[in-house]
Amino acid sequence: MYVAGLDIGSTMTKVVIMEKESILASIVGPTGAEHRRLANRVMADALSRAKLSFDDIAYVVATGYGRVSVPFADWQITEISCHAKGISSIFPTARTVIDIGGQDCKGIKLSGGKACLDVGKVVDFVMNDKCAAGTGRFLEVIAEALQVPLEKMGELSLKAKGKVRISNTCTVFAEQEVVSHLAEGANTADIVAGLHDAIASRIHNMVERIGIERDVVVTGGGAKNIGLIRALEGKIGENILVPPEPLLTGALGAALLCRKRAEKAKKEGSLPRRERRLEEVHFFTYPESGV
Amino acid sequence: MTEKPMEKTTSVKATETVKKVRPIVRGLYQRAHEAKEKGQFTAYTMTACQYEDILAAMDIVAIWTENYAGLAAAKRDAERFVLKAEADGYSNVICGYVRVGMGFDALRKELGGIPENAPDGGMAMPDMLLGCGCACDPRFKWYQALGHYMNVPTYSFDVIWPPVDADLDEVRDYYIRYQKEQFRGLVDFLEQQTKKKLNHDRLWETIKLSDATWQKWWEVDQLRKAIPSPMPTEDHYNAMVPGFFCCGTQLALDFYQELYDEVKQRVDNKVGVIPEEKYRLLFGGGLPPWHTMWIFNYFETLGGVFVMENAYRVYDPVEVPSHVKDPLEYLAWRTFLRWIQRYDKAKKRSGLPTVERLLEYIADYSIDGVVTHASRSCRATTIGQIDWLRRLNEYTKVPTMQLISDIIDVRDYSEAQWKAQINAFVEAVDAHKKRAAR
Repeated sequence: MYVAGLDIGSTMTKVVIMEKESILASIVGPTGAEHRRLANRVMADALSRAKLSFDDIAYVVATGYGRVSVPFADWQITEISCHAKGISSIFPTARTVIDIGGQDCKGIKLSGGKACLDVGKVVDFVMNDKCAAGTGRFLEVIAEALQVPLEKMGELSLKAKGKVRISNTCTVFAEQEVVSHLAEGANTADIVAGLHDAIASRIHNMVERIGIERDVVVTGGGAKNIGLIRALEGKIGENILVPPEPLLTGALGAALLCRKRAEKAKKEGSLPRRERRLEEVHFFTYPESGV
Repeated sequence: MTEKPMEKTTSVKATETVKKVRPIVRGLYQRAHEAKEKGQFTAYTMTACQYEDILAAMDIVAIWTENYAGLAAAKRDAERFVLKAEADGYSNVICGYVRVGMGFDALRKELGGIPENAPDGGMAMPDMLLGCGCACDPRFKWYQALGHYMNVPTYSFDVIWPPVDADLDEVRDYYIRYQKEQFRGLVDFLEQQTKKKLNHDRLWETIKLSDATWQKWWEVDQLRKAIPSPMPTEDHYNAMVPGFFCCGTQLALDFYQELYDEVKQRVDNKVGVIPEEKYRLLFGGGLPPWHTMWIFNYFETLGGVFVMENAYRVYDPVEVPSHVKDPLEYLAWRTFLRWIQRYDKAKKRSGLPTVERLLEYIADYSIDGVVTHASRSCRATTIGQIDWLRRLNEYTKVPTMQLISDIIDVRDYSEAQWKAQINAFVEAVDAHKKRAAR
């Protein structure tokens, strides 16, 4: 029985297709403005990679911000539960998960410990408010201002000789601050290190609200930034675990929860029998165009 | 391009009685305008000021400025007042109620009259500004600052209560004496302004009426322990109006009697707020988001009903010693006793009366999850929330969540973020319930 987990985040769409314990295909594609309606294509690519047709899939779970708009999903689950499931399948000892996504940042506390019979369940969580500071978008804006490719920011910051203090938490003001530091001749690596320190402080303060317990895992796009991970380790005072592909943990969790539900449905003879189609995903409707 | 129709932002109510509140609110502002025409005295004043009975006994028509700010926010018409206050130099972190009030009076002065289409006809011009220090500092400073826009006498009334670890037997007399002096000072001020003496018999009558009103309201909330919930939090935030703003009147007492009868009937017939109540939630504190009260209904679409709340609560009944024969002393005692409730419990356990109250509600109202609202511009009800929630988690495993926006300022609200958080919270509550049931 094949199942699929689909995670439509604010910047990336991710799909994991599983059969029993095996991941048959996983794929990450942008959820850019022109791709928003085309998340079905990412799904189609994943199916093609797994050499499956859509009819072969018994159950689909959608997660992420766009989950409610996926017409071909059988079930929607929040990304908090999906990340919790995905991470605890990779790191059963994880107790705190920090998901640094494109436009939000979350801290998730998981159940566990010697006496716990129900390991890896969401006990508490916290999310950033509507401010973009502490999210992937913040890093993107600053990377652009510094003219440093986003994926090079982490390595670059490790070469810093010091940290330039970034005092503004607002993305717009921080960008101005960075530009003025550049104008004053500050070293780019030192600015990036300072920036990571500022973001790490903000994330640490937020996650502290739910109480940080080890093991701590960082996931989402921000986990790919080694400089940010080191800065967070400094704040938290613990080593941080990072999954092999941090972008996929939400989709993986969705697929795992999907498998559990599909198995139950199969036993009960209630697997969905409706005809499936890979339809376009409508995130927004525009009255003017009628789209 | 056609203009997008305005979305509904207020909540849908469950009980019929609370639907009568909206005309009562309109009547409050209307009555103040009529009072001005008749030459009756009007006063700006504040929620839970503790001297409502005195105003009623002296026929001073109260204009509840915080309520007006909430009304403007609920109608999504607060922005023009907030922006005016900010344009006049008041910071955007100052209390949202204050910014609406300051902005309203700044515009009134600038325009030479009530701003056009102001909600419910606007606030009548006050003859007095009666500040109250109970709960937060802006409640003193607001009316002082209004001196920029109007030349009206101001009186700031102080309400004090002892720290939790105080020896109540040792400090009680001092607190009550100070509080009585505050009431005496206020009465002197009012008598001076109105050129009329306070009639103590009349004050006793209003005190009796307001005590009976609060007692009946408290009894309504006792009924709300029932499963399924007969009356949700969104109804409470309308039902609070007669208790807070029509205190010492027969109208208020009659309202709660009617509400009691309706809620009792719903309990007896097991009529819930939604057809299938899956999760019983507690609005644990912080003032509500007046700009988006509809959010309580959003929880209901996910099976969650707010069955109780910890903001703008009715005071639990208190027993003033029978030897107290002076009405001002009675008010001083009543004020003191209201604020020291749960001090003994707090001393024995968490150290925080708020945590004790929340734990009590969690047990009594069979709560599955607690939600608080951190309001950017309300320091008094936001500072400490994280601490309460942490302390709470020492004694209960019930999931908790903090939502962030503002009481008034919709610029601090993000619906997408809230819905994402709420959906995840409901999943956590569901998982907790299932674990607890095993």
